[in-house]
Amino acid sequence: MPEPKLKDRVALVTGGSRGIGRSIAEELAADGAAVAVNYRSGEAQAQEVVEAIRTSGGQAAAVGGDVSDYAQAERVIKQTEEQLGGIHIVINNAGISKDALIYNMDPGEWLDVMRVNFGGTFNCTKAALSSFMSQREGAIVNISSVMGERGWTGESNYAASKGAINAFTRCCAVEFARFGIRVNAVLPGFAPTDMVQGLMDKDDGKGISKQIPMKRFATVQEVARTAVFLAGPDSSHMTGALLTVDGGVSAQVGIGKPL
Amino acid sequence: MADVDGAVKEAVVEALALDDDEVTPDATLMDDLGAESIDLLDILFRIEKSTGVKIEASDLGEYIQGGIPDDEFSDDDEVISATGAAQLHKVMPQTDPADIEGKLKADEVMTLFTVANLVEMVKTRANGAG
Repeated sequence: MPEPKLKDRVALVTGGSRGIGRSIAEELAADGAAVAVNYRSGEAQAQEVVEAIRTSGGQAAAVGGDVSDYAQAERVIKQTEEQLGGIHIVINNAGISKDALIYNMDPGEWLDVMRVNFGGTFNCTKAALSSFMSQREGAIVNISSVMGERGWTGESNYAASKGAINAFTRCCAVEFARFGIRVNAVLPGFAPTDMVQGLMDKDDGKGISKQIPMKRFATVQEVARTAVFLAGPDSSHMTGALLTVDGGVSAQVGIGKPL
Repeated sequence: MADVDGAVKEAVVEALALDDDEVTPDATLMDDLGAESIDLLDILFRIEKSTGVKIEASDLGEYIQGGIPDDEFSDDDEVISATGAAQLHKVMPQTDPADIEGKLKADEVMTLFTVANLVEMVKTRANGAG
């Protein structure tokens, strides 16, 4: 049996207690990594993920902290190192959405979304840097969105935060490459998580899924496996890449329907 | 303790992708060898890994200025004072205070910093001083 690809590697998944983050934590553990499951408020859910990983024979720890605050992000990294013996992979996944038309949007709402989505990514990246640079090894995977590259009515703040993550991913890749640190992003299209529940409620999501070339949403595991690929040795010469996992959404022109 | 001279030279060669013979003790890191801020960071992390001596990029400026307050180190136009020039001669013995006092801007002092100066700084730090 081949050795697990992420054996002896420690990974942190921010916002790892549910949705895509939970799936990434489980998939990283399945590939042999010890996983720190970060949560802001869902401690019980994070513990569930940890227990599920341990039951499957993996190693995991729940690490609380609001990564939109730099001091807390630093603590999350430190606790990961203390509890699991190091840090080699950071998955910047924690994110929120506060959808509204710009006309109606409370000015505070763009900042809230930016602070968590881009701020959390910036903070954990910076907080992990010293360890990564000292060991001259590290992989960072930012969970972005196709919204960061395209427009969508009602998601200006979310799309801007993801666009910032995409630009940041490229800059980090260029700055850190010489230190042996790779930085890439996954850009999911539509995956069935709590965050997009509003889109599902309307007609079970059919109005959207029929416009997707593959005619279905991504599973969280499909997004997670791409993140794990970018975190591991199979992508060793990749950095600064933005990989879409969107069933062809961003490949098509306009609404994609033939006349 | 690793060979500091060799460790510093190796760090500079690798970080700047230079040939061994280009990295001489009297070469200035920025002007002669073309190092930029990210190169200096890379050099310092490489030195840390090979020697165990941790130097932050911000420590370089502090080491060069030797704890002398800004308003004594340079004048109102941020040109190096006599006190500043004497300090620079202490950490960069190759410099002549007469060429610096009243002539060099404070933000240009790093351009005089050589490979040999960095070796000396690492040795000073390794001995727990500086």
